[in-house]
Amino acid sequence: MTTLSLTINGRKHGPMDVRDDLSMNDFLREMLGMTGTKFGCGAAQCLSCAIIVDEPDGSSYTSPTCVAPAVNFDGKSIRTVEGHANDGQLSALQQAFIDHFAFQCGYCTAGFLNEGQVLLERLARAPVAREALEQTIADALDGHLCRCTGYIKYHEAVRDVILADSSRYLVATK
Amino acid sequence: MITTRVKIMAAMAALTSSLCAGYAASDTTSHGLASPESFAGIADTEKRSAAIFTELGKVLTHPRCTNCHPAGDSPRQGDNPRLHQPPVTRGADGHGPEAMRCHTCHQKANYEPGRIPGHREWHLAPREMAWEGKTVGEICEQIRDPARNGGRKVEELIDHIGKDTLVGWAWKPGFGRAPAPGTQEQAGALVEAWVKTGAACPAP
Amino acid sequence: MRPSRRAFVKWLSAGGISVSLSHLASAASAPFAAHETLPGRGNFNPATKGAGRVDGAAKVTGAKLYASDFRANDMPGWPQTTSHAILVRANDATHVYTGIDLARLSGPLKPSVVVTASDLDRIGTEVPEFYAGDLFCPLGKTPLYLGQPVALLIFETFDAFDQARLVLRDGTFVKFGEETGPVIAPDYGSYRFTRVAGPSPDKPDVYSPIQAGWVSPKKVQSAALPVWSPLAREMPADYVKAAKLGEQIRSELAADNASLLVLDREFETQSVDPMFLEPECGLAWYAGKEGNKGGNLELVLGVQSPYEAAESLAHLLGKARAPYKPSHINAQFAHVGGGFGGRDHTPFILYVALAAICFPGKPVRLAHDRYQQFQGGIKRHPIKMRSRIGIDRSTGLIKAFAADHVLDGGGLQNFSANVAVVAATGAIGIYDIPKVDVTTIALHSRGVTAGSMRGYGTLQTMTALEALIDEAASELQLDPIEFRRRNALKQNGRTMTGNPYIVSVRTPEILDKLEKHPIWQRRAQLRQTTGDRLVGTGVACVTKDYGSGADCSLGRVELGADGKIAIFCDHVEMGNGIGTALANRVASHLGGIADEVSVARVDSYDVLGLVTSGDPYTMDQRTQDAAEKNPRWVPSISSATSASIGAHVGTHSSSEAARVIFRFGLWPAALELWGIPKTDPRARQWANASWQNGQLTMAGLDPLALPTLAATAHARGFVTGAVAHSFSRWAWSRARFPLFGEQYRAEIDALAIRRGNTKFERVNRVSVKFPPTDNNRIGTAYTSMCGTLVRVEIARATGAIRIAKAYSVFECGTALVPEVVMGQSHGGFAMGVGYALLETLPPFEGGPGNGEWNLGRYLVARGSDLPLRDLEIEMLKPLTPDEAPKGMAEVVMIPIVPALVNAIHDATGHRFRALPVTASLLKGVLA
Repeated sequence: MTTLSLTINGRKHGPMDVRDDLSMNDFLREMLGMTGTKFGCGAAQCLSCAIIVDEPDGSSYTSPTCVAPAVNFDGKSIRTVEGHANDGQLSALQQAFIDHFAFQCGYCTAGFLNEGQVLLERLARAPVAREALEQTIADALDGHLCRCTGYIKYHEAVRDVILADSSRYLVATK
Repeated sequence: MITTRVKIMAAMAALTSSLCAGYAASDTTSHGLASPESFAGIADTEKRSAAIFTELGKVLTHPRCTNCHPAGDSPRQGDNPRLHQPPVTRGADGHGPEAMRCHTCHQKANYEPGRIPGHREWHLAPREMAWEGKTVGEICEQIRDPARNGGRKVEELIDHIGKDTLVGWAWKPGFGRAPAPGTQEQAGALVEAWVKTGAACPAP
Repeated sequence: MRPSRRAFVKWLSAGGISVSLSHLASAASAPFAAHETLPGRGNFNPATKGAGRVDGAAKVTGAKLYASDFRANDMPGWPQTTSHAILVRANDATHVYTGIDLARLSGPLKPSVVVTASDLDRIGTEVPEFYAGDLFCPLGKTPLYLGQPVALLIFETFDAFDQARLVLRDGTFVKFGEETGPVIAPDYGSYRFTRVAGPSPDKPDVYSPIQAGWVSPKKVQSAALPVWSPLAREMPADYVKAAKLGEQIRSELAADNASLLVLDREFETQSVDPMFLEPECGLAWYAGKEGNKGGNLELVLGVQSPYEAAESLAHLLGKARAPYKPSHINAQFAHVGGGFGGRDHTPFILYVALAAICFPGKPVRLAHDRYQQFQGGIKRHPIKMRSRIGIDRSTGLIKAFAADHVLDGGGLQNFSANVAVVAATGAIGIYDIPKVDVTTIALHSRGVTAGSMRGYGTLQTMTALEALIDEAASELQLDPIEFRRRNALKQNGRTMTGNPYIVSVRTPEILDKLEKHPIWQRRAQLRQTTGDRLVGTGVACVTKDYGSGADCSLGRVELGADGKIAIFCDHVEMGNGIGTALANRVASHLGGIADEVSVARVDSYDVLGLVTSGDPYTMDQRTQDAAEKNPRWVPSISSATSASIGAHVGTHSSSEAARVIFRFGLWPAALELWGIPKTDPRARQWANASWQNGQLTMAGLDPLALPTLAATAHARGFVTGAVAHSFSRWAWSRARFPLFGEQYRAEIDALAIRRGNTKFERVNRVSVKFPPTDNNRIGTAYTSMCGTLVRVEIARATGAIRIAKAYSVFECGTALVPEVVMGQSHGGFAMGVGYALLETLPPFEGGPGNGEWNLGRYLVARGSDLPLRDLEIEMLKPLTPDEAPKGMAEVVMIPIVPALVNAIHDATGHRFRALPVTASLLKGVLA
């Protein structure tokens, strides 16, 4: 058993004792009842279980939760699909997923949402050129599997959020 | 009920599709390594050195090593090496591209419930250190060439192979993966004996 | 011709178990139902104004929605703690099973309960016929198939379960003894479809299945394949008649005839997994009581076939002994994380129920991980096909086609016989062929059970066909599209079973679109057959039926006094957008998007008091005529969400219910508000009214807002709610209902209405016309078409293939939610690419039944495998503004598969005759 404290969607959890080999996925789903984070393959191959880890330096990355013990998240601050909307107000990306009919069954949506959000934030820190945008999105989302959609509408949703605020996400063109 | 109608017939080998064979190959079995002393019978030092390296080659050409010393920019995984899923590339520093860094999945140590390997420094060997698809002789030429071995003198390889903990992972790879042959200590001893016998290479 | 379904009512009486078909408490007071009712009253509804799905907000915020999201403490009135079960499966099917050795589970890791075959005898379970076979392999028997369950282990706490599953995962605790070889069992079904057309299209057929019925050869018990010869002993007479004609067709194809081009080719497809992203799972709680009185069995499940699930559970436990027999089963059904057929009639639910029954008082969760889902989940049938086609060299017209199909059905029968039929009747695709003879058989094997999956056999047979057509065009030196055009079945032409389609046939239009597309126009210019990078273009065009031949739906629509709309439907949301489609279809009658859409509900139509009997697929006309005299009788009560019927059938009952509300609720309210007396001719001109921006408009009159109309309808006691049932056997059932002094005619067979705020009351039909039982001889009557062009680039050195550009064009009548339709066609394309190039499962040892498969080995298409910015999809406009919606979820995945095979040939000169065509196979032929 190890004592675990972490921040989820801005709210502190713990300290609490967890088994060393308890997966982060089961910690969220079985202990906290936060089932917005899904379980798809248990082997980091579909990434439907990915969450966002926020680093102290302001950067963030996504991490699958099925292949990581919960105790590795001690002291960390994470975000899950349940934490994107603010006071019931959907984030721009959530809204874009809806507007684009980006998902169908929706089981992979949390993973795509987290990955897309991390990409938006990365581009806000380090914009890319317009010509590189599609490939940047494709590279970012490629780890995520979806069996219903064919991915196109997810990509278009992310792209449109970026293009709608291009001065923020793209290198200014001369 | 179907159970009352079924009968068991022994010889239905014909049903076994030939497709099976390719998949049936199970995990690579781990064999031991011969000790440096066992090569004492080879009088010619250069030949002895090359023979020792050939033995070491059992380790270097094992999937535990070649999967992360791949021929291209993408690692492989498993005992019947397949392209890594999800698809990743080495990125600028060998630690993966920006959107999929190695450490986001590969934790500080193996995580058994997820059957996933881990190490604090999990990353790909540099491109010039590719071993995948090469003969033991080719790997040997490469490994003693400072331009292609990370700027190391051959003496430094003794500790790199014998003691480095990321290299050592190959002998404790976790559930579902065959460990590299022998032990890391034995591999280190082979490197040392190879260096001390002049670091000669087997024919490419 | 689906396997027999027993009447639900029989189980109620024979089993003595009541099953929840009573309406649950209202959504507001039942949290589970509230979770599953979207978007929920007062919540943001993206579907309003057509800018999203009713389930949109729930799905982007991670709301509890799927069966896998629920634990005991999410369920009101349940004990708070969830126990967990492991379903242990055999990873060997050629040795005698000798038991499980749980010695490695000691102390707290010991399971609280172990359930095996012998426990089932004690409990007295009875396996529904559809799932016939041992639920658990008994000691001393060889498992019937790889992945056959041997035991359920139940752990009281999550921690014990979590640690135990780690200890058990290598599977070596499942013990086997003597080698026996695989269990040999009879085939699951064999059929012969033969048609000989008359001398000209306007003359009757010489012979067809619709005239003569479907025929099967004599069942054989021991040989692997049946004897197809009409001369064999003891053949049924009807079979002999078809087979003699069939053999004649074959001898014509074999004859030395220079005017006929004959190709004789084999094609083989692989086993694949539907790979829906949410592995199967379920939660159940049996409040078993002391003594002989069983308590409630409560379940939370996620399947495509909720009604069937409830039925099967009642059957399973109907004859159970005390204290294992529940007095009541209440199954609740959640949104589904992908289905593709693999969750239609899945045996998994039986184990969920057993886990609860064997651990009374404790809620138990059974959930597959991905390895287990590969090991135990329903697969697609591999099919070995031999096809012969004869084409008149001078005219380029196809004269005859003969084929033999062998399907590997795996361990349990499931839908194998049906898949074989659909595969066979789809084997001539879009073509008009006067002489056809197709034999098909689905075999048992020790592989994982195969069943329903998107395409349902036609993916396999049409891939083989379209590859053959490509080769034939090439042999004849005809343009592949022109060759298709010459042979395409016309609007009133007859299909293989001898009936015409009863919906639009738009193949010529689709072929024209394909021909004019730049991908096709530039194919010669861009083709490269030498050098490092090979480029080729392929085309294919197919038609796929929707509907199974006995489909139905239930719908309930309620209109509040405030104009808010609530819809309940028995069909399932598995990504198909049924909730949004329902909302849109109801809105076309009621002028507003629903605030509450509750899908996968089988409990909201009690007032109809429906009863059923017999099997709708095999019933004879006399039986149907007698049964329909009971005004509450219908051929089938509720269907699975499968066979692409969501749009066409799934929404139909709700749409008809809404029509009744309009006609007898909102329209009389409008007349009152407009001050139009009943005697005014305009009082019967409801067809001239239309909804615009939520207002009912009619020339020369003030527009009326929905809330105003709703309030008036409520105040005046007009119709404010309706419940309807509909049934289709390649045609809708029709009935008349006495309503407000008139005989209301509609394409439904049961109706209940609510006036104002009163309770719903059944309106007995006064006459009914069910589609004739002879329609069961139709192979397919509803169909939609799709064509695809694809250009590929292949690296000679590695065999790596890239889809450079692709175009798919399809038609689906009126699209209820065009964005969802486009999304499904994207997804179908992606699944087709995976099937053609990536996905494969070895059938037996080393295959998924060993419990070691996951997505590292089993590759499905990722974004990087697809032309994300180079895929163009065109959805044809409906042929007429009122054309009914047509099912399209399956057809859109098919043509890309043969188009890829054909494009690969164009680039490499090699015709692949097995799937998938992987990079390493390509590299092999290019070396």
